[in-house]
Amino acid sequence: MAEGLNISFLWEAFFIALSGVPITLLVTIVALVIALPTGFILALSRFYRIPLLRQIASVYISFVRGTPIIVQIFIIYSSIPLMLDILFKKYNIGINIYEIHPIWYAFIVFSFNTTAILIEVFRSALQSIDQGQYEAAQSIGLTSVQAYRRIIIPQLLVVAMPNLCTATVNLIKATSLGYAFSLQEITLRTKVAANMNYNYIEAYLAIFIVYLLLCSAVEYGFKVYENRLARYQLRMA
Amino acid sequence: MLEVSDVHKSFGENDVLKGVHIQVDKGDVVVILGPSGSGKTTLLRCINFLEKADRGKLALHDTSLPLNTASKKEIHKVRQSVAFVFQNYNLFHHKTALENVTEGLIIGRKVAKKEAEKIGREALTKVGLSDKYDAFPNQLSGGQQQRVGIARAVALSPDIILFDEPTSALDPELVDEVLGVMKNIAEEGTTMIVVTHEMSFAKDVANKVIFMDGGVVVEEGTAEEIFKKPKKERTRQFLRRVLPEEYIYSI
Ligand SMILES: Nc1ncnc2c1ncn2[C@@H]1O[C@H](COP(=O)(O)OP(=O)(O)OP(=O)(O)O)[C@@H](O)[C@H]1O
Ligand SMILES: [Mg+2]
Repeated sequence: MAEGLNISFLWEAFFIALSGVPITLLVTIVALVIALPTGFILALSRFYRIPLLRQIASVYISFVRGTPIIVQIFIIYSSIPLMLDILFKKYNIGINIYEIHPIWYAFIVFSFNTTAILIEVFRSALQSIDQGQYEAAQSIGLTSVQAYRRIIIPQLLVVAMPNLCTATVNLIKATSLGYAFSLQEITLRTKVAANMNYNYIEAYLAIFIVYLLLCSAVEYGFKVYENRLARYQLRMA
Repeated sequence: MLEVSDVHKSFGENDVLKGVHIQVDKGDVVVILGPSGSGKTTLLRCINFLEKADRGKLALHDTSLPLNTASKKEIHKVRQSVAFVFQNYNLFHHKTALENVTEGLIIGRKVAKKEAEKIGREALTKVGLSDKYDAFPNQLSGGQQQRVGIARAVALSPDIILFDEPTSALDPELVDEVLGVMKNIAEEGTTMIVVTHEMSFAKDVANKVIFMDGGVVVEEGTAEEIFKKPKKERTRQFLRRVLPEEYIYSI
């Protein structure tokens, strides 16, 4: 600290942090691709009070909501290899579980976590849609699937968009916990580089800026998309 | 053409429909009157399977179906020929007036987009909205929205249109434009069942008036018969409450 900031390392750290962005984005996108449909279906099961599925969803949500992500990571990271080990041994599959790439754990952990969040996002959005929209769709001869696809979901997305944005940004930030299982994302890469000369302040600053840029860009993207979807809500001047 | 019989429906302990029978012939304009809670909305919803009746039969043209156990396919078939106009319009908020009208044609009926748009524009012109094709519902007044709702039903050229209190959510000054449109399509020979509290519409347009109370049809007849010489005391009491004074005196 006494020597002040090491600007050249800061610059270097910034690019190291940037090099972690693709991994962070990949994990985020895969988690969303899995969580969006799964979350929506489980939200429907809660909305229509489908027995069993709805209870499972509710236990699942309270588990995810009531525990820190880092704890979920520890549990999944330690239990999955054990289960796989038993499975692989039983069926004589020659994969060394300790060589499984950490990104697979990231996919599992973050899909698992995000799905639970999205169930609640979609459920509250579903509740905000007037049942009359669905009835009108049926009355003009749309099937239930058509009514959802053409009438309910487009309106629901507009309602859900701010919460989906928050969930996505939270997910991006949460991927930084991937360091706990050596995921080569933004935080871990930069910290490792800082270890060499103890330039932690510079590293943290670089990480800070990269997340800030990334999250701001994502938020901006959501805003634009939301405005496009919500055109119909604008009143004529 | 359409006949429903022995319609029963209860919500929990509340027996809302207790064996209703109505029959509608081609070109009929049937108005259903009755006090609040008498089951008028529920009856219309059962006919279109928006509500599942506990018992009852529906005969449309030459097919007959159970109201409580009809299959999805059968229900879909009925909805192809029975359109519904809702009390609170239920326009699709995210679609323009024209898209609201063409949705059922393009998606429900698989009509080509060009053709559907032509039909849609004609229907909107018929209800006096030729300048509002591209307006979204929240850019329209209640009366305009309900006229889009009517165009959406008309465009499907259904055999019969069910109206559930189409004007009761409207400001008084907007009621006439909607009733006018309904009168026009009635004069074109459209078969319709209309639940309404607009007695003038019942008097001028209906060729059959049904009075419901307590989940049963109490009395039915021509507008003349029901308004001028009601047979049942319950009908007389109801009319005394709802008819404008000058009309009472003219009886
Ligand atoms: N989905 C429902 N769940 C429970 N009860 C219902 C439901 N729909 C209607 N009811 C009850 O059924 C009865 C008849 O309602 P309905 O809406 O058919 O009457 P209505 O004749 O249309 O009255 P109004 O003139 O007020 O529109 C009422 O007591 C109402 O509370
Ligand atoms: Mg009603």
